[in-house]
Amino acid sequence: MPRYILKRILVAIPLLLAMSFLTFVLMQMTPGNFFDSLKLDPQISLETIARYEQLYQLDKPLFQQYLHWVKNLLKFEFGYSFFYNVPVGRLIAARAWNTFILSLASLILTWLVAIPLGIWAAVRRNSFVDRFLSLCSFAGLSLPSFFLAIILLYIASRWNLLPLGGMRSAYYDDLTWAGRITDLLRHLVIPTVVISLSSIAALQRIMRGNMLDVLRQQYILTARAKGLPEHRVIYRHALRNAVNPLITLFGYELSGLLGGAALIEIICNWPGLGSLMLTAVRAKDVYLVMSSMLMGGVLLLLGNLIADILLAWSDPRIRYD
Amino acid sequence: MKSFLTKKPVIFLIFFLFYPGLAISSFASETSSGRYGGQLVLATTSDPKSFNEILAKETTTSTVTSLIFEGLTTVDPFSLKVEPNLAQSWDVSGDGLSWTFHLRKDVVWSDGQPFTSDDVVFTFNELIYNPQIPSSARDIFSIQGQIFAVEKIDTYTVRFTLPVRFAPFLRGMGQAILPKHKLEKAVQDGNFNFTWGIDSDPREIVGTGPYCLREYRPGERLVFKRNPRYWKRSPAGERLPYIETVIYVIVSNADTALLKFIDGELDYYSLRGMDYPLLKPWEERDQFTIYDTGPAFGSNFITFNQNGGVNPKTGQPFVSPEKLSWFRDREFRRAIAHAIDKRKIVDILMNGLGYPQDAAMSPSAGFFYNSNVRTYEFDLEKAREILTRNGFMDRNGDGVIEDRAGQDLKFNLYTNAGSTERVQIASIIRHDLQQLGLQINFLPLEFNSLVSKLTSTFDWDAIILGLTGGIEPHFGQNVWVSSGQLHLWQPRQERPASLWEARLDEIFNLGVQELDENKRKVLYDEFQRIVSEELPVIYTVLDSSIFAVRNKFGNLCPTSYGGAFHNIEEIYVRPEFQAPRSRKGERGRF
Repeated sequence: MPRYILKRILVAIPLLLAMSFLTFVLMQMTPGNFFDSLKLDPQISLETIARYEQLYQLDKPLFQQYLHWVKNLLKFEFGYSFFYNVPVGRLIAARAWNTFILSLASLILTWLVAIPLGIWAAVRRNSFVDRFLSLCSFAGLSLPSFFLAIILLYIASRWNLLPLGGMRSAYYDDLTWAGRITDLLRHLVIPTVVISLSSIAALQRIMRGNMLDVLRQQYILTARAKGLPEHRVIYRHALRNAVNPLITLFGYELSGLLGGAALIEIICNWPGLGSLMLTAVRAKDVYLVMSSMLMGGVLLLLGNLIADILLAWSDPRIRYD
Repeated sequence: MKSFLTKKPVIFLIFFLFYPGLAISSFASETSSGRYGGQLVLATTSDPKSFNEILAKETTTSTVTSLIFEGLTTVDPFSLKVEPNLAQSWDVSGDGLSWTFHLRKDVVWSDGQPFTSDDVVFTFNELIYNPQIPSSARDIFSIQGQIFAVEKIDTYTVRFTLPVRFAPFLRGMGQAILPKHKLEKAVQDGNFNFTWGIDSDPREIVGTGPYCLREYRPGERLVFKRNPRYWKRSPAGERLPYIETVIYVIVSNADTALLKFIDGELDYYSLRGMDYPLLKPWEERDQFTIYDTGPAFGSNFITFNQNGGVNPKTGQPFVSPEKLSWFRDREFRRAIAHAIDKRKIVDILMNGLGYPQDAAMSPSAGFFYNSNVRTYEFDLEKAREILTRNGFMDRNGDGVIEDRAGQDLKFNLYTNAGSTERVQIASIIRHDLQQLGLQINFLPLEFNSLVSKLTSTFDWDAIILGLTGGIEPHFGQNVWVSSGQLHLWQPRQERPASLWEARLDEIFNLGVQELDENKRKVLYDEFQRIVSEELPVIYTVLDSSIFAVRNKFGNLCPTSYGGAFHNIEEIYVRPEFQAPRSRKGERGRF
């Protein structure tokens, strides 16, 4: 197993480099650069813009810019953001934690709700419960999340239920630690529910399908024929087998932990990476975009690796060596 | 000139009548004695990009830094005249080249160090004129590449010597002054370009302004505390400012900001035209007032490519010869101007809260605005007649107008996709022009692509765009002078392509050196008239600046130039709103 893991990590390095190079090339191929927007300010001369470009070495050949970035990468320096004038690493660090909290909360909520619902729907196939859950799932999948976010915010403001966006209240620093957690949780409710809703709907459908597949297997029939109690059949034999495909899915979800949901972050005013990255892409803040792509890539590869390891652990049939 | 600009003067009158100890005569801009304490909660759409005023490249940053730093002069938001600020007076030599500023002696930096002429000299010589530091201020304080000589006379006197006369000089002196004792080392070490970034310790950022940065949480909020050492005093001798805490909440989505304002979390909300009918009915119940301070600065216009140049790489002309002949035809542009229904744009997009624009400067620019320019009323028949008279007519009856050579009048119209309002304006204009019989491909583009079309590849036909504007006409010279890089329709001309462009060059050249304001006015009036006659750009509509402010402040007197809080140091929170809001019920009722 350790050899396998090492091999996977070594393969990841050229993959990440290729990805960052591709990002770089794509960003450079679109017309203009970050400082172009300054050209429309009547009070800024081209000489000043040239000076900005010089400061960030944009006057160098493209390939040299990229090599320079990769070289710094070895020292764990991700370059400077043109927009914010500070190292990209610090910018991302300030917000990554916030996005992580939100993603983790919705991940937990999604899995806690979707898995039991999926099992329930599968066990009572074609019952009223199953059909009702199907209806809800399709509604959840088809409702645009930004719209739902605005509706929830409106409801919260109408009846004064929850804070309207943001992550902490203005008086957060004066609170006791218990008060701070409550405050954070109250701010988490709306974005978490919005992000989770569509993934609950999807995951519930997948879980139901997996479970139905397994329940049709002959070993389930055997188990029932032996006279095992129904709950043992379902939780002991069916569930363990139905969960395997979900572990792969879980790996993918790990990669999304810092990708987050930019749109919801913007509407709910959550101080995460989403809005930072959106403006970075639109303004062509190249190194900020590349670093975030790199981070996403690392997480994706890591998530897949973890999923594969978990799979080997949960399913004795899978061996990597 | 000092007018009280509100749509609800009656309500204000009542409030002043019932407010004890306040004479009605103090109504306009005279301020009353305030109360210390309280807080003001504002919203900003994005994070500041830096706290370094010299490097600041965009407006969120300058909004924030304007609370912390000040310049030698300031602009009176009512009369738009230059007033003393950190400099208490100045003299100018007879030839207009040498300006001597006498600094206030009672100003200290927020860390207690005295403010002296060394700081002024440092800000100009070591920062703005430092070739290692990219700063747009350098472009304002240099004429034809020549910089000003800045020298210290004594601790409280500075002299600026200009290479030629420079009329906007005093206005430009609003430039923020930065502390030498804090930044000198960074400049010597070559680190200045990365100093006072958004990751710096707020206590390190020292200014002379009314507020000091206390805390910055990325993506969440900026907290400012009153600067106890601020030099300005109220007429009664009280040390300003009154309000203890100013908070900027970072809200990127305008709808969320609106909900937060209704909910009572924000004290201020800048309205889009579409918000007006939504907010207006709740003014009394939710205790706020909507102010309309008149036309905003800036512009929206359509312009046609008149660039006769050839792409050096491909050898192809930027604009095809037949299109060039249309776009260069003044009568063609006049016909277009008659075909744009400005009133409809204002009514549909802005709920009637906007202004048709005719002159190259905003009416809010006051003194330099020329209200007497040529206007083009919406009249499709007249537009069609002008076209016919100049050989543009529908000859084959397919509904599309052709030129004399039989070419269909067909061109691409670009705008920046990022601005919803501009895209909507463009679709109305496109509709109007199609009514006239033109064929238009409408192509909204990402901002950066649009800019490279305008400034480097020049391969465009027509663009709908806006530029920022102000009260000083000279600061727009890059657009109007034929050699300017923002002379959109044909930038960087070696020699003026037409007589009227030659006259514009002359006007801007004379205007910048004319120190008599009235003579300048005559020149800039002529510039606005020429633009309206020749129509290199066809102006469309101006937004109005409308905003809502919670009724909890005293000494509030909004203007179009300064906005609601231009006199932030004099504004105070009325006593009944001073009590700390209870935590649970912090948000208002609905």
